[in-house]
Amino acid sequence: MQNKPAHFAFFISNFELVRLGSKLVRNSERESPDMTDAAISIQGLRVCYGRFTAVDGLDLDIRKGELFGLLGPNGAGKSTTIRVLIGQRRPTAGRVAVLGKDVVREWAAIKPLFGYVPDRENHFEEFTGRRNLEFFADLYAVPRLRVNECLKMVELDDAGDTVVRGYSLGMRRKLLLARALLHEPRVLYLDEPTANLDIHSAEVVHRILRERVEDGATVVLTTHDMDEVEKICDRVGIVCKGKLVALDSPMNLKQQHTERKTDAILTTGERMTINMDREPERAKLAELVRSGATASLRTREFDFHATFLKLTGQAFD
Amino acid sequence: MRLHILRALVGKELRRHIANRGGIALGLLLVVAALLLSVFNPAGLGAGGSSADEGGTGLVGGVHHCFLYYTGEDGELISPLLDHLEQTLPSELAPHVRFRNLAPDRIQSGLEYSPGTASIRITAPVVDGSRRLRVEIFHPPGAVAAMAPYEAWLWRELRDGLQLIAERKLQSLGVRKPAIRTTGADDDDLWAVRDSFARLQQDVEEAKPGADIVPAVEIDRRGLGGQVLELRSAIATALVVFALYFSCVYLLPTLNCEERERGVLLAQALSPASPFEILLAKFLFYPVMGGALAAVIAGIYKPAVLSTLFFWMGLFTVAGGFLGIGMTIATLAKTQRAAFMGAMCYLLSVSMILIIASTNGIPVISNFALEYHVPRVLHAALSGSVQSDHWLHLLAAMGLAAIWLTVAGWLFRRRGWQ
Repeated sequence: MQNKPAHFAFFISNFELVRLGSKLVRNSERESPDMTDAAISIQGLRVCYGRFTAVDGLDLDIRKGELFGLLGPNGAGKSTTIRVLIGQRRPTAGRVAVLGKDVVREWAAIKPLFGYVPDRENHFEEFTGRRNLEFFADLYAVPRLRVNECLKMVELDDAGDTVVRGYSLGMRRKLLLARALLHEPRVLYLDEPTANLDIHSAEVVHRILRERVEDGATVVLTTHDMDEVEKICDRVGIVCKGKLVALDSPMNLKQQHTERKTDAILTTGERMTINMDREPERAKLAELVRSGATASLRTREFDFHATFLKLTGQAFD
Repeated sequence: MRLHILRALVGKELRRHIANRGGIALGLLLVVAALLLSVFNPAGLGAGGSSADEGGTGLVGGVHHCFLYYTGEDGELISPLLDHLEQTLPSELAPHVRFRNLAPDRIQSGLEYSPGTASIRITAPVVDGSRRLRVEIFHPPGAVAAMAPYEAWLWRELRDGLQLIAERKLQSLGVRKPAIRTTGADDDDLWAVRDSFARLQQDVEEAKPGADIVPAVEIDRRGLGGQVLELRSAIATALVVFALYFSCVYLLPTLNCEERERGVLLAQALSPASPFEILLAKFLFYPVMGGALAAVIAGIYKPAVLSTLFFWMGLFTVAGGFLGIGMTIATLAKTQRAAFMGAMCYLLSVSMILIIASTNGIPVISNFALEYHVPRVLHAALSGSVQSDHWLHLLAAMGLAAIWLTVAGWLFRRRGWQ
């Protein structure tokens, strides 16, 4: 910094001030009483592709500073909802607002406020990772130093000067995240952000997303990874056939929708399943344990995967 | 419109071409071709400066159409002669000869001869009180022999026609069997031809002295006044047109569709850059790149052309028109492959239409193609032979360019980004 020209240093320090200011604003937003204010408000959203209805009357509020997971089977309407949110698909009916601004009418004003990680990478293959970020940094009027920060954040600082054509799938996805983070957006949309990532890289992504949320940003992600949802999401919305079928925290959803059962193997070799929600069966299990008739007991763990399948009507009998 | 965004977008286009190198390589090839054209000049001619009879050769040799112009000043002579010529026109020559009445009141401007055309003019002026038959052969410059098949027929039948007219007149004057020698006049030696007509006149005069039945025949053979398509300036014109076509009609749609296919266009659309800025950057980059390349090529070939208003007006018009065509293809094509096919199909179909229209004498259709006017405008600028009709071509090109840009804009508004 000291070697930079004075005007550049001034610009950087201004940028830092802006960052600090926005951070303070976001923290105050988190701490303010109206923390439940919706960052994203979807009312009666309906999207049709010809005769096919992809999203059918979706009502959803996503709070500020929340990491929200949008789940659903293939073709449920998740990606269409994201497309509407980023302004790439006009709703057939309904209203969608991001940070209080209508997505259709105020798209230009919303664009600088969000970052988007698509489900397939869309880089300039002939550029290096750094050059890709620099181009978008120029569009967002973000200083070049931020490019280095973002590359480092996603652990691509060593590969920054390599042409993207030579990147692995995981590196490409991390570069997408770095690009989405360049301008420190207040809302971040991610379409399967950890697909093709190794365990460590997925952890890095999770950490970054949690940090963004702690800084007051709102993160919306779609994924098929149930462990990921359970691990990092504050709330989950499950959509199926264009409709919202469940909306709660992962833990609450599990508690609401998973049957609590215990599998017992008796000393006689007989197997039985005890439903822990029924008093007579619980009493019977207690008696078996007291009498020493049980050879093995195994409680079924809460299974978010099973909950998801059940809610989306895809569970096997 | 924000300058930092525009700068970033234009810079991106430039960097993409630097990284890909294909476009730059082709551009350099064009420049090298222009340099070679400038350095290797075997005829020692100045750029585009061949005189009518000296150097120029048409791109295609021979005369595929011969216009026979005549005036109807002397009904007794010209009309029967023309009837005879039309009746005796060999079937193999018939598709290539056009008879045109060239009455003075029908001439409104200079005659323009396309490459591969020539003319024969037959008039009957009165000189010093006596009727003459004047036959003028206008052959392509430097290609006298190209008229040989037409002349062989013309001299033979012209003499036979004159003899028939003379015999009929002599009969009406009471001369039953005039002693007229039947020496053939199909020699390609003009002296022999003149001699043949002179002997006919002499024989008729001897048969009926003082009747003045056969006029003296004046024969003249010369090259056309204007210049034919000169090969070097034609190549230079082709290079200039190709530079603009390559940039605006090929590169722009294919790279645009590639960005769309890869999703990079979406990434840019989601950034603060507005659709207008993204479009403007492309509009600025490709015509400017093509125009700069075209100007370099033209400058290498003939530096003086860079100081002419006509050249720059032509260049901007062509760039604008090709930009409209390119954007139309880019808007209609969904994939890079479709854009490539669109550009190639456009080129082929327009070429075919122009060829069919010109070979079948349907000039109206050609006028609706930008590619019909563009080479004429640029060739005139490069060869330094701008005439009033070239300004008309420029005006037509401007109109067509405006139409293409309007179509592209309308389609873009209807179909949008995706």
